[in-house]
Amino acid sequence: MKQSQRSVLILPGMLADEDLGTTIGDLEIQVSQPDAETDFEILDNHIGSLQMSGQVLIRAGKTLTLLGGHEGLISQGAASKGNLVTGLKDGPVKDALQHVPPLRGLLGVGSGTISHRDLSMTDDENKTLVRAHLTTLNPKGGGDAVTIAALHPLRGYDEALEQLRDHLRASAETASPDAADLSPMLFPDQPRYNAKPDVAIVENATAWQSAGDVITVYLQVARENEAGIIADHDTEFLHDYRVALRKVRSVLSLFKGVYPEEQTAKFKGIASELMSPTGRLRDLDVYLLARDDYFAMLPPSLHKGLALMFEMFRKERRGAHRALAAHLRSSGYHSAITDLQAAFAGTDGPPKGPMADASVGDYARRLIWKRYRKVCRIARGITADTPDDQVHELRIGCKKLRYLMEFFAPLYPAAAVKPILKPLKRLQDNLGLFNDYSVQQAFLQRFMDGHEPLGHKQDLVLAQSIGALIAVLHERQKEERARIMASFSQFDGADIRSQFRSLFNAKEA
Amino acid sequence: MKIVACYSNKGGVGKTAASVNLAYAFAETGSRVLLCDLDPQGASGFYFRVKPSQKLDNDAFFEEAKQVAKAIRGSDYDNLDILPANMTFRDFDVFLSRMKNSQSRLKKSLKAVGSDYDIIVLDCPPNISTLSENVLQAADLIVVPVIPTTLSERTFEQLLEFVEGQEATKVSKKKIAAFFSMVQRQKVLHGETMARMRDTYPKRILKAALPFSTDVERMGVNRAPVLAFASDRPSAKAYRQIFAEVQTRLRES
Repeated sequence: MKQSQRSVLILPGMLADEDLGTTIGDLEIQVSQPDAETDFEILDNHIGSLQMSGQVLIRAGKTLTLLGGHEGLISQGAASKGNLVTGLKDGPVKDALQHVPPLRGLLGVGSGTISHRDLSMTDDENKTLVRAHLTTLNPKGGGDAVTIAALHPLRGYDEALEQLRDHLRASAETASPDAADLSPMLFPDQPRYNAKPDVAIVENATAWQSAGDVITVYLQVARENEAGIIADHDTEFLHDYRVALRKVRSVLSLFKGVYPEEQTAKFKGIASELMSPTGRLRDLDVYLLARDDYFAMLPPSLHKGLALMFEMFRKERRGAHRALAAHLRSSGYHSAITDLQAAFAGTDGPPKGPMADASVGDYARRLIWKRYRKVCRIARGITADTPDDQVHELRIGCKKLRYLMEFFAPLYPAAAVKPILKPLKRLQDNLGLFNDYSVQQAFLQRFMDGHEPLGHKQDLVLAQSIGALIAVLHERQKEERARIMASFSQFDGADIRSQFRSLFNAKEA
Repeated sequence: MKIVACYSNKGGVGKTAASVNLAYAFAETGSRVLLCDLDPQGASGFYFRVKPSQKLDNDAFFEEAKQVAKAIRGSDYDNLDILPANMTFRDFDVFLSRMKNSQSRLKKSLKAVGSDYDIIVLDCPPNISTLSENVLQAADLIVVPVIPTTLSERTFEQLLEFVEGQEATKVSKKKIAAFFSMVQRQKVLHGETMARMRDTYPKRILKAALPFSTDVERMGVNRAPVLAFASDRPSAKAYRQIFAEVQTRLRES
């Protein structure tokens, strides 16, 4: 009987029949002829979710095989709708990939040829004691071949299993790597992407150095998303691209005095110009991703208009993507972003402003403390009757405070920052929703006023649904508004205040 | 989990061959099967090339279900494991008869081990004794090969009488599913005996009958079930029909 707990070995090299030999002690080894070589591809998403969790996903022909985790090797059909995990057919591989961020598409990391052999070990009565299925991956490019041995023990023959395991390990070229190292072994030249790289900010650096470091790193992050946006692999490439550029822009506006004022304004202008062609596509992505939520907001009688609206979004998205892809491929864009990179990465770096040489530690404390007090001042002025503008101002203030705390986080012990970030995040979620509902109402209103006419009857259906949607969003915005004062009072507790003071106010601490 | 016992109070009727092929047929359908070789001659294990286990004794079988689990060996076929015979099983019946409440112990220890399996097939030794009482009680179905001769007819009657004597211990003769084994069509006696017995025990005898075949005898040379090495032969087909009827009866039991 097959044992559910199988054991899988990753063995560097082709593990040729000659290397395997024909006997292990008194026992015989039989290895079948390899089947015909076919192509394989290793799949992972842009952020390497599978590799980081020790999984390797192999697509060969119509089969997806997943290595790693408790199950050993599991397989299912490769048929899928799109490249998201949710688009896979239900099966054990899909189940084992539930940890993968749902919006990240599975992409080819590298390819090569794959072949299979079966091995069995028998005793003097020709009884099989253990079997193994050998899968050899031979990568294209400069990587090394790897053989994956799935051992299928037979009950009661544990000793034979151990013997075979040792024998296979001894036959391999080098020691067995972990599943997480398999993909780098096969495809060593494949770049690894990190959306949130650690930027080393050290206490004795200057503000100017630190700002330059953060900007350099995030411009690079943005660039690593360009190809994925152009190929339209998934919506997260554009999202990461925008987040990275927004970080660049916020360093420019928050790190005051690091560069001369004119220079800062110029850089900010460039960053905004880089951002602006991405806005429409991102907006449409956000609406299309939330499609189910919108349908849930309205009764079925109003779904027809929503379907019309989303169909128009889908069409518009195609055009918006084409336009952005063309922009990202243009020489104008290319020189704008490489010039900006060069301005920070060059040997001289950008010119220095009045605060350039301040030590980053003092500089950070001053900025955070000032921003924190400003946030509190705005928030304490907010009552149930305060105009929405002031709420927006609070949202922007919180955002800036959060960016500052995150940029300078390496300067402070994580355990000290985490408890004060938590209520800030909660307040920001609250403010974020309040803002989203408001932005969505404006977006829908603009869409309704400006869309291409579909004909009188259809326009009416569309208008009814959008009108209803705006009403629901308005209601939700009011609910969020009502929560803001409570969220702030949680953030404004005596504990949090004293922690802010001790971390960021050197004078009063 | 269901227990199927292959049993006959007469030797040499094709009981082990039936156990081996039924176990194989169950495993083929995806059920997880344990074939227990309770016959001291150890023939079922031999057919699967499994060497007799060495450490198992009677104490172990009834008191240490874990030790039984250790003695189990995987066959070369998916879903099919063997509990090989141990020569000390020869005294198995005697041992049991000395124990109080022995009737329920087999069932208990099988349950303890059987959590891994959907089907347990017991290849029983050929006599009516304490082990047999245990087997009769534990089994959901008792498959009895009968060679259609006058003598076998007589032994089958004895078996039914014995079973009826066991009413108190929840053994019902409804569990008995006999099939004609080693049937030789050219023998008039075989034909007459089969007709008479089907008439006398209409519900106890399966429709399918196993013809006399050298394929079954070749199992000892090939050391594999007929179903595995001669799947298209008449005897294999007969085993499949017997299996189908056994499955139906198990579902109804």
